[in-house]
Amino acid sequence: MSNPDQFRERAHAWLASVAPVYGRAARRGLTEEQDLALGRAYLAARFDAGFAGINWPIEMGGQGLTHIEKVIFDTEEMAYGMPTGYFAISLGMPVPILIRFCEDRAWVRERVIRALRGEEIWCQLFSEPAGGSDLAGLRTRAEGDGNGWKLNGQKLWTSWAQYSDYGVIVARNDPTAQKHKGLTYFWVDMRTPGVEVRPIKLAGGDSHVNEVFFDDVRLEDSQRIGGVGAGFSVAMATLMIERYSATDSAGFGPHLDLFVDTVRDLEINGRPALKDARVRSTIARNHAMRAGLDSITGRAMLMLQAGMEPGPEGSLNKLVSVRSRQKLSELAIDLQGQRGFRFHPEASQKEDWGSSWINAPTGRIAGGADEMLLNTIAEKILGLPQDHRPDKGVAFNQIPA
Amino acid sequence: MSILYDEGQQAIATESRRVLDARANKARLLGLLERVGAWDEMFWNTAVEQGWTALAISEEHGGLGLGLTELGLVAQATGAATAGAPFLAVGHGLAHAVAAIDDAALQAQWLPRLAAGDMLGTVAFGEGSSPLTATPAVTFADGILNGAKDGVTGGLKADIALVWALADGEPALVLAELAGADRTPVDSFDNARLIADITFAATPARLIARGAEARELALDVLARMAVVTAHEQVGGAEALLFIARDYANTRRAFGQVIGAFQSVKHRIAELYGLVEIARANCIHAAARAGQADFLIAAADARISATDAYDTAARDCVQVHGGIGVTWEQGLHLHMRRARSLAIEQGNMLFWEDLLVERLTGVAA
Repeated sequence: MSNPDQFRERAHAWLASVAPVYGRAARRGLTEEQDLALGRAYLAARFDAGFAGINWPIEMGGQGLTHIEKVIFDTEEMAYGMPTGYFAISLGMPVPILIRFCEDRAWVRERVIRALRGEEIWCQLFSEPAGGSDLAGLRTRAEGDGNGWKLNGQKLWTSWAQYSDYGVIVARNDPTAQKHKGLTYFWVDMRTPGVEVRPIKLAGGDSHVNEVFFDDVRLEDSQRIGGVGAGFSVAMATLMIERYSATDSAGFGPHLDLFVDTVRDLEINGRPALKDARVRSTIARNHAMRAGLDSITGRAMLMLQAGMEPGPEGSLNKLVSVRSRQKLSELAIDLQGQRGFRFHPEASQKEDWGSSWINAPTGRIAGGADEMLLNTIAEKILGLPQDHRPDKGVAFNQIPA
Repeated sequence: MSILYDEGQQAIATESRRVLDARANKARLLGLLERVGAWDEMFWNTAVEQGWTALAISEEHGGLGLGLTELGLVAQATGAATAGAPFLAVGHGLAHAVAAIDDAALQAQWLPRLAAGDMLGTVAFGEGSSPLTATPAVTFADGILNGAKDGVTGGLKADIALVWALADGEPALVLAELAGADRTPVDSFDNARLIADITFAATPARLIARGAEARELALDVLARMAVVTAHEQVGGAEALLFIARDYANTRRAFGQVIGAFQSVKHRIAELYGLVEIARANCIHAAARAGQADFLIAAADARISATDAYDTAARDCVQVHGGIGVTWEQGLHLHMRRARSLAIEQGNMLFWEDLLVERLTGVAA
């Protein structure tokens, strides 16, 4: 048996042993505060069991294993619905950036271990009212202030900022430079005076994203990550950290088996709904699509294990799976007729069609809107040209508004 | 679990593409469209010369002893080239059925000749609009076959066919030499497929399997042919993706190449998604032949590949605008092939229903 297989078995055994305490069933009915506390306890247990920071350096508190073990563990873990969502951004982007770019290694090590144990949470302060997909259009200002910096402006859609101890932020240090070149990257203590976090209630009723306001927030120059004006390339490095992460061909919504279970007892025109051609076609098309995504993932894992770079087709997963989950959720609700009115938005998006449906638009926008993903495929994989870009080669403060 | 192609398989893919590219001739293929009963003999000679007829036949019977993965790679190359002879998939279907039954004499009689390309095999399952009816109208009794099959791919030139028939009230698979059958060419939108309506009138035939065993073997044969055809569809769809991409990168309108317009570039990016999903399903399905989940994997491959090729055919023409609908430009070779391949080996409706039946236990 190969090492990855052994690792999978070990991970599976541990996850199964703690699932009754932290898993999907244990979380039902908890308030968000209770669930977060459970999540912190789970992360501490995961750290103690040796499954935290799997592909991070041992000297930084990680396990020193490869990307393969990381994806294996994440894939296995996903099946149990553990309370890891609060820490996904924190451990996914900001903390790896600290490991890669920060010079005070002792301080980084302390942050890494606290983040891995769920004791500290980091948020990523990128998007703004004027800069979402167009990240480099951001307007939050970082102005020189003695030997440090002064931060003013507003961030938007910041996940879990209300629970975060620290954040990483990109701000504009030079509005006379071209838009990508006048940006600088910092870390910020979220308890600094002048930082204000206001949760935003989303359509589904939850408030995991926030507006964050900065009013004359003082930063030391030691909080700068990367060079002055190099903020965009540090932000881009963030995107390259996890080139192959665990995926879910169900689009982070319910499994197709649940659709079949939902439909099995329903009727259309007095006949079993499973005999209806529209229902059958939907099941078949979704199965074929998800099987294809699963095979792409399976092949990517084989390539990683063989020391090869997985193909770019892995980038299809979110684009294809989330929008199909959206339509499948609509149909699942429709098929239930008047009974479909019943709504439990607080239920798990992976177990409840209403919750899956109301939250699906977020999935199609966050982490790369469908349109941006299509642009990336067209430009980076197929070699098609960029769009017409009136903002190119122009100083930021000269771009037509 | 999926597979990665090994060196030998990669060589088959590269070499088959190279050979077909070198011998590609659009004028020849366009000419075939308007002639009923003509076929691309040059392609078929290439197939025999390259050993593609022998690929998936055992070494014991003069074949190369390879499998569906290798055959699929060749089919992908022929799909990209809209190569004009249909026997890769249907010939494999017949050879697989002969190899699957316990009859050494029959295997020795047919397999070496099929491997050498001396004999052409096909599969005649469908009647009317049904790819595999529960109660075929073609009947088999006392070594004699009677009745008609509609639209048999390759039927016009094949020497022998695997036929889905009714024997004493239960389904059966029989082998019939076609010299003794009446064949009427179908004037089709894709004439190089050698499609024929075949009427058996006291045609001698030989029983291969009956009852549940016959249905199981018929489904296995259909699934194998569907996987080969799905590779062919992926090859065609990918070719169209690249043709559309290249055109969008050179054709200019409104002061820029049209590929800079999101309405065009997103259309092409969506094709990429369809092609890669279908390709992944094909690779997986070919590696699952003979396993319990093969039919499901084959259905996934078939459904996604049909979707990919049809969509690519529509959208590639659309990206081209007016030039895309001309005879000479030839995109209609792919449009036509996308439709004929969508019907051969069971249409989308058939595979959707079969897949859902396997997944849920509920028949349509």
